[in-house]
Amino acid sequence: MINTSLQGWGLWIALAGACLGTYACRAIGVMLSGHINQDSEIFRWLAAVTYAMVATLTVRLILLPVGLLATVPLWIRILICVLCIGVMISSPKRRLVPALLTGTLLLVSYGTFFLTS
Amino acid sequence: MPSSKNPPYLDPSEIPLGSSVAQRFKSRADAFGSGIRDAAGAPAMVLFAGMVGFGAMGRTNGIDGWFTALSSLLMFALPGQVVLMEMAITGSSALAIALAVTLTSTRFVTMTVTLFPQFDDKDRNRSLYAHVHLLAMTAWAVSMKEFATIESKHRLSYFLGLGLLCWSISLPGTVLGYFLAGLVPAPVTLGLVFINPLFFMLTFTEVKPWINRIAIGLACILGPLFTVMDRDTSLLTTGLAAGTVAYFVDRKLIRKRPGVIG
Repeated sequence: MINTSLQGWGLWIALAGACLGTYACRAIGVMLSGHINQDSEIFRWLAAVTYAMVATLTVRLILLPVGLLATVPLWIRILICVLCIGVMISSPKRRLVPALLTGTLLLVSYGTFFLTS
Repeated sequence: MPSSKNPPYLDPSEIPLGSSVAQRFKSRADAFGSGIRDAAGAPAMVLFAGMVGFGAMGRTNGIDGWFTALSSLLMFALPGQVVLMEMAITGSSALAIALAVTLTSTRFVTMTVTLFPQFDDKDRNRSLYAHVHLLAMTAWAVSMKEFATIESKHRLSYFLGLGLLCWSISLPGTVLGYFLAGLVPAPVTLGLVFINPLFFMLTFTEVKPWINRIAIGLACILGPLFTVMDRDTSLLTTGLAAGTVAYFVDRKLIRKRPGVIG
């Protein structure tokens, strides 16, 4: 496998930038809280953009992963996700922990029987 | 408004609860302890699992252990951490990584703005700039739900108990995942690295407002397309495109209809 990952100083600069950027967002929130109406249009829009970004990340991790997950066929990954959502919404109280366990254990079982490395 | 000296009484109008409702906590310590106890169930378990998954992701992709652990401690934002890790693995530039991570963290602006005004006026000072680091998806969701039944003077203590527990388990979780991934058989590691995408996906089923549901749905369609076109910028472009379309659909079509959660 060709190692394309970020090495050396670049890695640490990326980490520093990521930490600063994340904290800056938290601090801006503190600064704005109390001055801005949380129901204002800009926040409705910002919330939608945020959800869309996290959804993109999720879909990308499931459909177009890097690393170990990429060795699992796409249809297996999708099938497991569908089953998990089924467990999750099977109760109106939302079964988050059982659904997480279902998905994780199904993938572990798949790996046990079919993973060749 | 009361003077800067501690007022001997609380203005009843500052308490959103009716005066007939009994206080939920006796003291700040009581509220803090309750925050810790509330976090110690499913929220902490799920977060811990996510951090274990993140540690495993770092190990299986040959990323430095200190880098993996420090990002949990200093960022404490799993989606951002996963973006950082994923882009570092594929060799994106440091600038692109910092930008993408910051953009996924913009949700903290919204989260803080919706949560922090609910604290008591006395608690809303500079120390919040330190406390805000404990804010993450888990503590936010639990607080938003519980604050409705907590008197405002005890909300900060409750939040601190909740956030502190979540934050303090993130480093051990990450370290555990990092070392486990090197010890356990590959199938188990596979399960560990799948925890985070699975968790993010499952939380979407609990999203109620239609504007956010539309944003998620559109992003699921546009995301893969934009990723294939240009992986580096796809998070930003999909987020802006799907979010903006969802906003206008909600504003023009949905908001005025009765019986729809807006």
